Amino acid sequence: MSDARIIDQGYRPYEGPRRGRAGAVRSLAWHSVLRALGLRRTPWAKILPIASVVIAYLPAAVFVGVAVLVPKRVRDQANVLPTYHGYYGFITAAIVLFVALVGPEVLCSDRRNGMLGLYLASPLDRGSYLFAKVLAVLPVLGLVTLGPPLVLLVGLTVANAGPEGFGGFLLVFVRIGAAGVVISAAYTALSLAASSLTDRRAVASAGIILTLLLTSVATHTLVERAGANEHIMLLDLFFVPFELVQRIYGDPGIRPSIATGQLAAAELAWTAGAAAVLWWRYRKLTITR
Amino acid sequence: MSVVRGTVVMKRWGATTALSGATFTIERGVTGLLGANGAGKTTLLGLVLGLTKPDGGSLEVLGLDPTTAGPRVRERIGYAPEHDALPPDVKAHDLVRHLAEVHGLPRREATARASDALWHVGLGEERFRPVGTMSTGQRQRVKLAAALAHDPALLLLDEPTNGLDPVQRESMLDLIRRIGSEFGIDVVLSSHLLEEIERVCDDVVILSGGRVVAAGALDTLRRGEAGLVVEIDGDVEAMATRLRAAGLTLTVDGARLVIDGAEDVAADAVRDAAVALGIGLRRVQRRMATLEDVFLAAAS
Repeated sequence: MSDARIIDQGYRPYEGPRRGRAGAVRSLAWHSVLRALGLRRTPWAKILPIASVVIAYLPAAVFVGVAVLVPKRVRDQANVLPTYHGYYGFITAAIVLFVALVGPEVLCSDRRNGMLGLYLASPLDRGSYLFAKVLAVLPVLGLVTLGPPLVLLVGLTVANAGPEGFGGFLLVFVRIGAAGVVISAAYTALSLAASSLTDRRAVASAGIILTLLLTSVATHTLVERAGANEHIMLLDLFFVPFELVQRIYGDPGIRPSIATGQLAAAELAWTAGAAAVLWWRYRKLTITR
Repeated sequence: MSVVRGTVVMKRWGATTALSGATFTIERGVTGLLGANGAGKTTLLGLVLGLTKPDGGSLEVLGLDPTTAGPRVRERIGYAPEHDALPPDVKAHDLVRHLAEVHGLPRREATARASDALWHVGLGEERFRPVGTMSTGQRQRVKLAAALAHDPALLLLDEPTNGLDPVQRESMLDLIRRIGSEFGIDVVLSSHLLEEIERVCDDVVILSGGRVVAAGALDTLRRGEAGLVVEIDGDVEAMATRLRAAGLTLTVDGARLVIDGAEDVAADAVRDAAVALGIGLRRVQRRMATLEDVFLAAAS
């Protein structure tokens, strides 16, 4: 006869340390990053994030390949390699797709599936909950705003087609960082603000894309067709961050009549405005009634 | 030490008064929060969690003020809300572990305790299934596991048997009783179902129209008027006549006799009558009101 026995351990109290609100923020931010990227989820949930990342990195891989395979003389004559800020022109669609995906995924889902109530019944409060969400969305957007130009920089440098010397490399590196922050900050705020207005992910995603398109089409029409003041372009959510990126690289941009300071102020105003909408919505949200 | 203490707690939602001066104490053990839908139960749970601030009065939870020490209070509370909507594409174990981490447990401990909690609620074999593929009863148990995994001092359960069939309901109530008795965790069970509270709870707080209309130990509240309930095996009318002749006031309810008055006097009279008539006694017990009686009396 065997001596094996099933031992019921019973309930074990936990007497170890607890990580408090900071730990809760870290845990929620990391969980949100995984959700936004479709990780630990169904294959369907992975398709769009992976597609966006592929679209964002593919041109960089192609340009690095061109730099490796095509001789420098031919490259320079044909001007085949983009500038670092010009690279964003190739990946705008990926950035917009990502912006429209990430915010709704990390915010709308929590309200729709009841997780918000469970989170706010933990050491998190509304402010720390939203802070965790911002901490999640910023780096995820950085994956398509910062990552591809960095891959381009490193790839071109290795292929001997990068900036001149360490100083040049460092300057481009810093500019890429600043450009990534400018684009990610504005679009994180926009994405989260739009997602705070509806529980439905699809509606939020469509709203984000429509907001970007409509502000762009409307301002361009006013300036190009109706002869309105160019400063009205500061209302264009496509224009402001990407024009500011041009200035970061020392390029006068498409509308040199708009001062860099005005662009920076518009960027700040858009980001702060979207953040205010987000906070207002969550402050008013009733969790238990 | 009391677990929750409310003093003249007021809460309004616009023009609606959810709580109008609720004063109560919730002691250790399993306490039922009883009231009809809209009585203010969920509002009270929200106040206990510090999710909303009272418009008046004060609240003390685990010795802390939830309006100023919300995160510290919530760290020690497990909450299972009424709805059973959970992320459908997340595995039960991942969800419970994540919520344990959010409540402050280190990852390794959260992983181990998530498994333990799911075994405790009877979902050990199902723990790696996505929540969306589970039945309502299983999702209710996932919520309970998530509320339990971080070893709370106080568990708040909002209508935990909603959507359960009778068998699942029995099993859930057994589990709640075990949590209160074996696990040593204080439980507040919010429900509008009297029999659930009666079966599981030691104490009860009865809410009606935003007011606490009765509170205390269930046995005390049910004791009501003095008297005995006697079930006999024989001629009920003959027994009733004999007892009335002995000066007792009583009513006949089927095979039962409900006798008013001092219990020792009534018990002696019942014994003597049974011997004299040669009637068997099936049950003699102290007269207890049902929780329904208590609720109706308090609410009126």
